[in-house]
Amino acid sequence: MSEAVEKIAPSTGSAVAKKEPRILVCDGNEAAAWGVVLSRPDMVAVYPITPQSSLAEYVAQFVADGVLDAELVEAEGEHSVLSVLHGAALAGARTYTASCGQGLAFMFEPYFRTPNLRLPIVMSIVNRDGITPQCVWGGQQDAMTVREVGWVQLFCETVQEVLDTIVMAYRIAEDRSVMLPVNVNHDGNYLSNGIVRIELPDQGEVDDFLGMPDVNWHAALDPDRPMGVDPLTGGATGPGPALFVGYRRGHCEGMQNALRVIVEVHEEWARRFGRRYAPLVEEYRLDDADHALVTIGSMAGAAKDAVDAARDRGERVGLIRIKTLRPFPLDAMVAALDKVRAIGVVDRAVSYGWNSGPVHQETLAALQHCRHRVPCLSLIGGLAGADLTQTHFERAIAETAKLLDAPCPREPVWLNAEDR
Amino acid sequence: MSATPTIAFDAERCDGCGDCMSACASAKSTDGNTAQSRIRIVRDDEAGHWGVALCRQCGDPRCASVCPAAALAKGDDGIVAWDAERCVNCLICTAGCTFGGIAFSADEGHVVKCDQCAGTPQCVTACTRGALRYVTAAKLYNRWGELEDLFVPGLGGCQGCNTELIMRHTLRRVGPNTVLATPPGCIPGMGSVGYNGMLGCKVPVFHPLLTNTASMLTGIRRQHKRKGRNVTALALAGDGGAGDVGFQSLSGAAERGEQILFVCVDNEGYMNTGAQRSGSTTYGAWTATTPIGDSARGKAQDAKNLPLLMMWHGCEYVATASTAFMEDFYAKLEAALEASERGFAYLHLYSPCTSGWRFPSASNIEVARTAVETNFAVLWEYRREQGLTLSRDIDDPLPVTDYLKLLGKFRHLDPAQIAHIERHVAEQAQVLCELAGMQPREGERIVCHPSDSMAVDLDQ
Amino acid sequence: MEQFDYVVLGASHAGLEALRAIRAHDADGSIAVLDREARLPVSPTVLPYVVSGKCAEDRIALRERRWFDAQRVDYRQQAAAAALDTANARLRLADGREIGYGKLLLATGAAPAIPPIEGLSDVRYHVLRTLDDALALRDVASEVAGEAGRAAGRAIVLGAGLVGMHAAENLVRAGARVTVVEMRGQVLPGYFDAAAAARIEAVFRDKGVEVLTGRRVEQVAPRGEGCTLRLDGGEARDADLLLVAAGVRPEVSYLAGSGIAVERGVVVDAFMRTAAPNVWAAGDVVRTPSFFGDGTPAGGILPDAVEQGRTAGMSMAGDPALQPYPGGVSLNTYGFFGHRALSVGRDAPEGTGPEWEVLVRGEEGGDAYLKLVLRDGRLQGIFGVDVLFDPGIMWELILRRVEIGARRDVLLENPQDAARALMSGLWR
Repeated sequence: MSEAVEKIAPSTGSAVAKKEPRILVCDGNEAAAWGVVLSRPDMVAVYPITPQSSLAEYVAQFVADGVLDAELVEAEGEHSVLSVLHGAALAGARTYTASCGQGLAFMFEPYFRTPNLRLPIVMSIVNRDGITPQCVWGGQQDAMTVREVGWVQLFCETVQEVLDTIVMAYRIAEDRSVMLPVNVNHDGNYLSNGIVRIELPDQGEVDDFLGMPDVNWHAALDPDRPMGVDPLTGGATGPGPALFVGYRRGHCEGMQNALRVIVEVHEEWARRFGRRYAPLVEEYRLDDADHALVTIGSMAGAAKDAVDAARDRGERVGLIRIKTLRPFPLDAMVAALDKVRAIGVVDRAVSYGWNSGPVHQETLAALQHCRHRVPCLSLIGGLAGADLTQTHFERAIAETAKLLDAPCPREPVWLNAEDR
Repeated sequence: MSATPTIAFDAERCDGCGDCMSACASAKSTDGNTAQSRIRIVRDDEAGHWGVALCRQCGDPRCASVCPAAALAKGDDGIVAWDAERCVNCLICTAGCTFGGIAFSADEGHVVKCDQCAGTPQCVTACTRGALRYVTAAKLYNRWGELEDLFVPGLGGCQGCNTELIMRHTLRRVGPNTVLATPPGCIPGMGSVGYNGMLGCKVPVFHPLLTNTASMLTGIRRQHKRKGRNVTALALAGDGGAGDVGFQSLSGAAERGEQILFVCVDNEGYMNTGAQRSGSTTYGAWTATTPIGDSARGKAQDAKNLPLLMMWHGCEYVATASTAFMEDFYAKLEAALEASERGFAYLHLYSPCTSGWRFPSASNIEVARTAVETNFAVLWEYRREQGLTLSRDIDDPLPVTDYLKLLGKFRHLDPAQIAHIERHVAEQAQVLCELAGMQPREGERIVCHPSDSMAVDLDQ
Repeated sequence: MEQFDYVVLGASHAGLEALRAIRAHDADGSIAVLDREARLPVSPTVLPYVVSGKCAEDRIALRERRWFDAQRVDYRQQAAAAALDTANARLRLADGREIGYGKLLLATGAAPAIPPIEGLSDVRYHVLRTLDDALALRDVASEVAGEAGRAAGRAIVLGAGLVGMHAAENLVRAGARVTVVEMRGQVLPGYFDAAAAARIEAVFRDKGVEVLTGRRVEQVAPRGEGCTLRLDGGEARDADLLLVAAGVRPEVSYLAGSGIAVERGVVVDAFMRTAAPNVWAAGDVVRTPSFFGDGTPAGGILPDAVEQGRTAGMSMAGDPALQPYPGGVSLNTYGFFGHRALSVGRDAPEGTGPEWEVLVRGEEGGDAYLKLVLRDGRLQGIFGVDVLFDPGIMWELILRRVEIGARRDVLLENPQDAARALMSGLWR
């Protein structure tokens, strides 16, 4: 990596007109670290956890090499990692961290508080499955478990998208109509360790894109602006429930505003840097489809290959990829779902009590708003780093196609159940 | 009205030797006759103790109020001064004093009184028993009094609690260029952050989580410093937020040497929420979760020694303090504040809890003092450069039972439990004595001889 | 009409102490102090020393004007009250102006009592209550004392209280021939017990003072610049200077029609409140109840005035540390011709029961005299001549009703150290 740093250390000069993009061959964790470098955070706090560890190491090395001018706090655990960033953000810092799995579980207490304090912290989750049975591999059980906490949750498909989305995440988080923390999810193993060619945007262009807005205009711990942050609110005494309700409602409004801002930011990214991503929901070969898969994260690549193969066979199948899970892009999702007559949702996590996957449940909720009643099958695969290959998705397409003529089974399809 | 340095008398230490009177007489009288001393040591054989007659330099001196000639007045230096030119020798001042602090001297032909020898009282210098002490804490109170009280009036502490004292005095000294963290507990409970839409103090203040005080302060301190600002990051935390669930973040910040001033107000349990046990709760103590019953007699384990644990982190500064010894507390607060510019400073305050420990609300300072005088709470100080030093002599403590019997939470103790506590107190004192003895003698430094290279032959 | 939160009438010990107590608790309330005098406040107690020349008249002020300024007090001289309207909480001054008050303290002190002696009003006589009185007496005393080549004149002092005795001593020292006439059977009645008084009287006689106790002046008639007094035995004394020092009466003339009860002084409760709303009184203007609850003389002494002033001030300001005034305890320190006499409390009454105990040393002409009076083992009074003790501590022991029976002998032997040791233990 150090050679790469020497060769392609980002320019620190002022924004210049279009430059040739710098090319880099790296894995998703390094790409994420470059995204951090380009975003110029004031403070990064990290604690290593597989499969995030190399990301923490890259950032530490960038700071050591002077590529990234940030305070680096090597905290004694994830709980403190996020707590340090709370303090820093309230003191006006742009901040970054990354974690996953048990680390996310351990930081849950401050994680829970982050969006309620309206702190625009950006945090990568290098998605990892639950700890027991003992497991250090990929899976989205971590991110799916915390989807009601109030963070914006974005899921990337490619290594390039990881880098680009981290930069975009600051624009989304720091928008005054949003002011919420953003999780940029990239799948452990597949994205974190898969090495590909990427383009590194120009630092000056990124500086121009991001700017450096105040992040503690609303709540600060600063002797120049003394205030009490988060005093006891609501309950039996005090200003009454209205104040507390006001905070909650404001948070919900910020989430809804984020839908608009995410779209705008992705549009501007495409204009400036030439790479266009579906901001909320990606529709792939959907317009004339009878049925479609719903996917999230890196699995979409293999799934698209399977869709292409099926199309080659004449099957009218498409794909929906959710990039933004929170806020839930209801309108975009409904528009996509309305185009087909059968849906198969592939989850890399489990929703235990529903006997399906969490994205399946989200999709069912969206279907309530569709014009027609569309059958929707749950498929679960890729747990604990298991491969989800084109073959698995071909089976998923086949299972989904059955819904066109037969009732939808209540049981989920366990895609890797037979894999040895 | 300002407070005044005072000459304190400890009857327990006085043996009636009279050296103080000789010293006073030779310093102040024309003939050096001890009878002319302005301090008088007296014996009450009936009660079997020594007493003292001496001017208290009252804040509201009655001798001056009754003087018809305006010959007595309290000066800016705090001394009640006598003006020979104005005095008419009517002796009414002696009727105004209930301390025997001003009296007629037949040899001098007028009243005489103590003037504290311009700041170096000879009686105190002469006292080898430590029965007389020149207490200058009042100077500090005066100085502190001039600093702005940065908490609002009317914090809602329990009656007799010393925590408000600790909070107000600490923040006065630390000043407005501060961000204050008060994790859940008594301190925000009494309104430090705010209630009912009203704020509790004039500096930026927040509730951290109970668990993450030192971590949040890390981010605050570092970010302000990054912007070129020297903002003090101050924690006023309870023992649970410091030593139990908050210990990981505290330990991490201390290990990293974060520039934080962390004040732990230790009331030995979760007192704000109804007096439950913490890791700081004493062995044998009643709490709501270590109740007394047929098969349980209070807490079954000793308290962890949190300040010693902090010392082993290699902090810049660690000290224990008590509100019964305010001068010592002030000195340590100064040192801790200064040290927090360089690294982690940890100050551990013993805070007797009137409601949770079950003792009368008027006794807080007495309880705090007795804890120190029995070695139950030893006052010491650690500086990274100097090591650990004891702040006061611990060789001759009062019996531990003098402390235990003050507190309702110990009322049920049986002899074996008392013996356990006595043993533990003695062990802790012994450990501290040994640590204090480990420091290099003055002028010497323990050096580590550097090896010639990194390539050390491990076989040799 | 001007209006103040607090108005204090009088600027002597009670008024000044009340002022201090009010400001100690209420930093902001507006305060006016109205003094009928035209000079800075002076204690009556210091006046004998002005007469003797020990004190320079310009160095005896209890407070300078800058002190009032520092306390943010509106201090006014020559502001005498003429009438009080308690219903409307306003005060009319002698010059006709009116001042409204939130709370009012009457601390107007006392004026010399002039005994009803035939002919007294037809002769020139002196009193000693104000600085003007003192200066006048000082000038006359030096004339009477005689200049070279002329025999000393005679000064007659009516009343052997502290003022009279101080004046007598000053006049003797100045060179006058002095006679003291006291109606009662001893000098300093009510201040000292008979034995102590006898010692004091003996010293005065030694210095050439004619002391006539138990005697009355029946008539006074002019004689040249001076006068002639006819005593109750029929004998006469010529006087070049007559000083009337027969006690004081409360200065209450302005209270006529105010509804405030005056019975040998303004009647107050334990917090120095008069019966009128928002009106307090303290010092010599008050009828001071005795701490002992009996007919023991009380009031008219400086420490009592200070205590009362403090109590009134704290009560007016609403200071929560307020304690009720415990009642007056007679308390005197008296220096004469190089001797010192001290008294605190009361003597045993005549024909007392076994609960009373009186201990005396030096009764038979020793150098020093000391008398302890106990009741039920508690100190009631202590009287000494040329025996030193701390009157302030004795006062406190009486007020606290401290049991001292077991220490009676050490107290009698060395009252200073014994009481200090006892008090030291009590304070701890």
